[in-house]
Amino acid sequence: MIKLEKVVQRFYEGLEEGKFLGRKCPVCGNVEFPPVYACNKCGSLETEWVECSGKGVMKSIVMPAALSSKPEYAQMGQYAYGEVELEEGACFNAVVKGINKRKRKELMPKLPVPVHAETFQRNGYKTVVFVLDEE
Amino acid sequence: MGKIGKLNRSVSIIGVGCTPFMYTVDNEETNGLTEGELFGYAALKAMEDAGVSPQDVDFYFHGEASPLNGSNYLTPNIQIGNWFGMKGKGSIHHSEACCTGYLAIDQAVNAVASGKFDCVLTGCVEFGDSVPAPFGPNDTVETPKHPYKREKMTMDRFLATTMWLYDRCYARSMMAPMELIYDDAAEDYVRTRGITAQQMDDTLNWMAINNRRNAAKNPLAIERREFEDIAKEKGFPDVMSYMRSPYNPRMGDFLRMEGVERKCDGAAAAIVCATDMIPQIAKNLKHKPIEVLGIGNAACEATTPHFEIRATEEAVRQVYENTGVKPEELDIFFANDFIITSHLISAEIAGYLPWGEGWKYICEGRTAYDGDKPINTNGGRTSFGHAHAASGLADVYECCMQMRGECGERQVKKLPKTAMLRGYGGAQNIAAILLRTID
Repeated sequence: MIKLEKVVQRFYEGLEEGKFLGRKCPVCGNVEFPPVYACNKCGSLETEWVECSGKGVMKSIVMPAALSSKPEYAQMGQYAYGEVELEEGACFNAVVKGINKRKRKELMPKLPVPVHAETFQRNGYKTVVFVLDEE
Repeated sequence: MGKIGKLNRSVSIIGVGCTPFMYTVDNEETNGLTEGELFGYAALKAMEDAGVSPQDVDFYFHGEASPLNGSNYLTPNIQIGNWFGMKGKGSIHHSEACCTGYLAIDQAVNAVASGKFDCVLTGCVEFGDSVPAPFGPNDTVETPKHPYKREKMTMDRFLATTMWLYDRCYARSMMAPMELIYDDAAEDYVRTRGITAQQMDDTLNWMAINNRRNAAKNPLAIERREFEDIAKEKGFPDVMSYMRSPYNPRMGDFLRMEGVERKCDGAAAAIVCATDMIPQIAKNLKHKPIEVLGIGNAACEATTPHFEIRATEEAVRQVYENTGVKPEELDIFFANDFIITSHLISAEIAGYLPWGEGWKYICEGRTAYDGDKPINTNGGRTSFGHAHAASGLADVYECCMQMRGECGERQVKKLPKTAMLRGYGGAQNIAAILLRTID
């Protein structure tokens, strides 16, 4: 049943509890993360809540620089940006902590590399970031 | 993925107009120009070029990327209709950020192809470099504004408002979606084509050099001094030594300063007409019409990995499939390159440059106006300038003028018959437009 539902609020409430909530398509099994109403793979009008493990892989690495960073991000320590794919299949752009330029060089031939999700406190809410498994 | 159908009737661009791209508040002659004056100039020049009057035009489309910040308007189309003789005629405003000027053609073409209108105006205006005065520490979009005075837009204010391009629910909070716009395509190119970071740096620099060579010969461009001359003046032995120097600092993981847009003010417009109605509507047309063969569309919001690449692949696939045109038929290519990497990757995706080899063409200067694979002959966003919404139509203006052989010193060697324009912007809309001269 299509419901008028506060998906965004529940996603962020999940992060406060340390849960990484996505939406799974009951027809094709595709997982939408971050969560939205419908399935972008098969077009099903409905999806259902699913708790993701937070485990995934990083598939590309871009280092932050003057144009692509903000003072607040410094709290994350060393980090990079890139494509992350969850083991449930969802792919999206994310921050991955624990990467500097030297580490990037070491990781590039090994891509994709395993990562796991954690929360990061921003101004008034927690968001999702990732960390290299080996760190 | 998406599928597009054939247009219900042939539609052509019969007139184009464009202002110089400029920093209006920096010059006494242009300081104080308003939205109606810029848009009106471009619209009237397009009508003059088409040999039509406002009475011949049924409807107008108006594009502006950031009307609230740049103009203090919510309905900017309504505020300027009287300036070009179309008082009382229907209009619509649209905003797709930096892709606005390309989708301006798409919407105009659809409106004419449907049969609702025979002849429409499509125009865009942007004040990317200034905001309505008063501007100061306590100014907000709600503060009353002066009738015509403007003030320089600070980079801080510009960057704060570009955040509006990104989804508030997820993209902004996850940080990476917003920040990957600068370097994602360069990283992908290096990784998938197997070139070195140094080769990518050289390619980015050569794109900036080639854009500037083109702009140097374009009186409408905002930056016309060639890097070679600047390098000499600063005492560098060659242009690349200058481009690798602190005068051109690295601002991204790969991107340097000269690979980023020059945000500025400007307007551009086009008259779009049913091809079979041209003899009746534009009796005084003095040049060949340029037919819009088809337009592919895609959009990937910024949480999508490699959003620019994926959406470009989809839009290009659609338009080739729809029209039957082959990449080898393209004679000239335009790409919205406010991040200059766009210029390389979209030309390869379109098959205009060979996969994995495009960077070599660029480094050999083959993509400048006098090369065999010309790209962005007006100077692109880094040298022609980027008046955000208006840039797409400024590319359409340049493309039509090249196809008509009217670009003077920067006219490409072989008169182009078929062209592709790859629009991009707004985190992120994509349009792939195919044009062909009607003999």
